[in-house]
Amino acid sequence: MKRSITTRLVGMFALAALAMFTLVGAALYGVLERELTRHENDDLNTNLQNMRYSMERFGDLEHWSRLQVKMDTLSPADGSVRFWVLSDDPRFLYGKGLDEMERVNLGEAGHGSLTLPSVGRTYRTLSMRLAAFSDRPAVRLIVGVDTAPFDHTMRAFLVAFGLLTLAAVGLVMALGWWIARIGLRPLQRLSEQARALRPKTLSQRLRLDRLPVELEDLTVAFNGALGRLEDAWQQLEGFNADVAHELRTPLANLIGGTQVALSRPRSAAEFQETLQSNLEELERLRSIVNDMLFLARADQGEAATGLTAVIVAHEVEVTIDFFEPLLDDTGTTVAIEGELQAQATMNIALFRRALTNLLQNAIEHSADGARLVVTISRRAGAIWIAVANPGPTIGATHLPRLFDRFYRVDSSRHDTGEIHGHGLGLAIVKAVASMHGGATLATSDDSLTTIAFSVGGVPSA
Amino acid sequence: MSRSIDITVSAMKLLIVEDELKTAEYLRKGLAEQGCAVDVAHNGTDGQHLALVHDYDVIVLDAMLPGIDGFTLLRALRQVKQTPVIMLTARDSIEDRVRGLHDGADDYLVKPFSFLELLARLHALQRRGRAQEPTQLKISNLLIDLIARKAWRGTERIDLSAKEFALLAVLARRQGEILSKTAIAELVWDMNFDSNTNVVEVAIKRLRAKVDNAFVPKLLHTIRGMGYVMEARDEAPSNEESQA
Repeated sequence: MKRSITTRLVGMFALAALAMFTLVGAALYGVLERELTRHENDDLNTNLQNMRYSMERFGDLEHWSRLQVKMDTLSPADGSVRFWVLSDDPRFLYGKGLDEMERVNLGEAGHGSLTLPSVGRTYRTLSMRLAAFSDRPAVRLIVGVDTAPFDHTMRAFLVAFGLLTLAAVGLVMALGWWIARIGLRPLQRLSEQARALRPKTLSQRLRLDRLPVELEDLTVAFNGALGRLEDAWQQLEGFNADVAHELRTPLANLIGGTQVALSRPRSAAEFQETLQSNLEELERLRSIVNDMLFLARADQGEAATGLTAVIVAHEVEVTIDFFEPLLDDTGTTVAIEGELQAQATMNIALFRRALTNLLQNAIEHSADGARLVVTISRRAGAIWIAVANPGPTIGATHLPRLFDRFYRVDSSRHDTGEIHGHGLGLAIVKAVASMHGGATLATSDDSLTTIAFSVGGVPSA
Repeated sequence: MSRSIDITVSAMKLLIVEDELKTAEYLRKGLAEQGCAVDVAHNGTDGQHLALVHDYDVIVLDAMLPGIDGFTLLRALRQVKQTPVIMLTARDSIEDRVRGLHDGADDYLVKPFSFLELLARLHALQRRGRAQEPTQLKISNLLIDLIARKAWRGTERIDLSAKEFALLAVLARRQGEILSKTAIAELVWDMNFDSNTNVVEVAIKRLRAKVDNAFVPKLLHTIRGMGYVMEARDEAPSNEESQA
């Protein structure tokens, strides 16, 4: 079953109410019991003192019979109050069930309790000894008050309070349910807002103004997620447009070239020429599609596999070696600087691919005879490989976008055909970096452009 | 008029199991023109029947097939014989690759692949199990000593750097085989990816300056849109070479 906040709140309210009422009930019960007992004791005391006064003044038999009448009068017919007088002289005995009483140990003077099985009653008693006086021997005077009304009152209190507690807990649950519903209403409003979000209204956000503070964090986080989604969505849309644009040129060349070739009779050599040109365009298409598939896999969070720990400078040398014919041709030199002993765990092919793109980029954007510098550095546990080339300073607005797919600083150079890449080179560098848990960075000032990427490093022992 | 691509996969008997008709047709045509005897099956059931009944030198097998899929066919085949198999997989997924190799494929190509790539793989399978490599290569009046790492054109010693010699050796070893720029980058520099650089073009240009420019006949040819080939040709240089 799904957990419901309302159900949990109601349950917790009910538990709290139950605990509260139980505490209050227990306290009230204690107070009531004490008060009733005190009241009973007062009653006992009054009766006892009353009789004692009469008994202590006269000790003759005549007064004793009057006392018996008085005690008869004071004992109500329902037997709720009783008097007993115990003595060794049978003439000075008084009270019902005396034979039973003799079997009961009443102890010394003071409070006690007494059960008379013959009448099925329990009495709270107060007794005292009276010294012998005149004809009367020493006697024991006992006053008893029936505890039945007391017990009855306490029982009635318990039952009433129990029922009240149940009713109150029920009421609290009902109220709690209502309170929870009202309290959770902002959540409902929030879900209604969220439900109204559509791909077409991606810039829409959940409104914060009427929300309680408790929901603000969640909403801000959710809005953040929406923002990221919007960015990704826009990037995707822009990307689709870029791809379409990028594919359009070779496709137009293919279609146009083929149409021209077929529009009139031609020699085999001319057809061959057309096919060769077509093949070049097709290779360009294939290369774009392959690179885009590669980028898509990196976008899906694919991590580099086949990792090996290598000395970074060594891999840099190997890649520079590859460029040797081109460097030689253009008179360009490349220096390796920085932490030449630094190690990193990487997929070698991916690393070479990224560095190849950086070097190609650097060579393309610097004049013949330039001096390029590859700097290896260690920063925050990652190994950074930076390629610097002298060349026109790139505006700060372009720098963060250099790694975007198909992004070109100088859009006029788009279709010159002189550039060997297709605008995905640096995007691939970024993809390779992210596949290695790294990042990219571009800086440009004083006619020196530096583009760097990082891969996870191996801490030097 | 330029000559046709001539590659020495001739006399191989091949089976192509491929359901995409256009792909099957260009493979059949291309390989038949190389001198191969080619059978084609358009579904797994026919393919399995042909593969089991005849003895082929190599089977080119698509992984996704109607009827019986490529992996199932391969397993059935491996229970009976060890015909070399090149698997064609639609996606560059590691699982497919591992599965194919596990089931006994000898090689695999990820679609879309280039025809040159397929030829290169056929070559590799053909070379497999061949006697040890020669220590010397001779193409027309070009002599390459693979042990001493030296080359001569006629009597004249050609002075090559280590990488230039490696490039020459790669081309000469695959004499007559067209090598794409990517393949050359991989074989010579161990750069195992599409690099979008013109390094290979420049390297070829420089090698050609040393090996070919001052000599006759020309041996290092550019096949426009495809790559480079080293071979002795009878006729005069065709129009393609002017491109290089």
